[in-house]
Amino acid sequence: MSPRTNNLLLGAALCAAMVAAHGVGAQEARLLSIRDDATRDRVRIFVEAARLRGTPTEPLVSRALEGIAFKADAKRIEQALAALEKRMRRAKELLAPHATVDELAAAADAIANRVPEKAISDLRRIAPRRSITVEIGVLTELVAKGVKPSVAATMVRDLMAKGATGAQLTELNAAVQQDVALGVTPMEALVLRTRGVMSLLPPAASVNAAQRP
Amino acid sequence: MIGNMVDTMDDERDEVIERVVGALSPLPQPRSAAVARVLMAVRARRAQPVSRVRRAIWWAEDTAVSAKVAGLLAAASLTIGFVARGTMTEQVTYAGAESTSIEMQPVASMSSAVPVAMAFELANAKTVSVVGDFNGWDPAANPMQRVGANGPWSTTLLAKPGRHTYAFLVDGTTLVADPRAPKAKNPDFGGDASVLMVRTP
Repeated sequence: MSPRTNNLLLGAALCAAMVAAHGVGAQEARLLSIRDDATRDRVRIFVEAARLRGTPTEPLVSRALEGIAFKADAKRIEQALAALEKRMRRAKELLAPHATVDELAAAADAIANRVPEKAISDLRRIAPRRSITVEIGVLTELVAKGVKPSVAATMVRDLMAKGATGAQLTELNAAVQQDVALGVTPMEALVLRTRGVMSLLPPAASVNAAQRP
Repeated sequence: MIGNMVDTMDDERDEVIERVVGALSPLPQPRSAAVARVLMAVRARRAQPVSRVRRAIWWAEDTAVSAKVAGLLAAASLTIGFVARGTMTEQVTYAGAESTSIEMQPVASMSSAVPVAMAFELANAKTVSVVGDFNGWDPAANPMQRVGANGPWSTTLLAKPGRHTYAFLVDGTTLVADPRAPKAKNPDFGGDASVLMVRTP
């Protein structure tokens, strides 16, 4: 090989390595904010192992730093990461065949808040080609605030099937929160506010067209 | 014999002198139009900056790296690249299905994020920042500024649509939930956090 060919091959390899290492650099910089060496090493090992298992690592790093913010010890952070990875893998199955990392994190959060798993897959079925991060988030928040999980799942699913947008569902959630703060039970508030949103939705024929990609 | 040598020297001297005379004789007068064309071409060449790519190519042509060194460096680079693969945009595929990728976006990728204004009142705090899953719980990401001498702390951050949990980090050590937002249970770490619902723009 001529020196020029050597140089060009070397340059190409360096470029490839730099591009690939960019993401690692950003994630590694975040891990370096963990001051305790032992904790940082345990987190790093877990994250690398999760990467090899095909699990998205960004939510794991974020959860580890959340643990640091809450002054959790290394063992507790590791347990939290293991639980999150398990939920993310289950979320991946529920959101198949297509999901973004935001949807995956939202679904894992929903599972942690006792949202029925079937409700998540139902939402994906209604909207297979667009992001349902907001819808999953609203469902999670309703359940977290005391609405019976099966009722919340049915209401959100029906609203979505009739064409309710993410913005409408977010407003519905805000209205329910206000009602609850005024003393209305979460269930009553959700039923009342769902009727209000339903009255604003278009007829079924145009809804089916809107749900298509 | 001496006469022959003198003749030879005379012949050589004549030849050298002729070459010197030829070299020193004045050049023909250049045509002014031709000179102008050359000068314009030189100016035009100077005005074009040399691109980095061209410089790199020149460097590659001029700098010689041995095959062994190039091979070692390339192998090391590719090893780093292999270890670091997939982190720029992480992807996970579902087995046995069409169009089944999970598209990973790092925290820095906030193309769909919307601005959210935050305010917090705590008179005796020295520093306050917002930490949450929208900024990877990074205390340096969203520091708050005090409005006036003793006014509330405020900032505007970017968050993607969806449900987020967050808290205020006071003086770099204490996490405080937002008193004006719904509370979030934290089953993993305990403690108080708040919920931020960001709607689709």
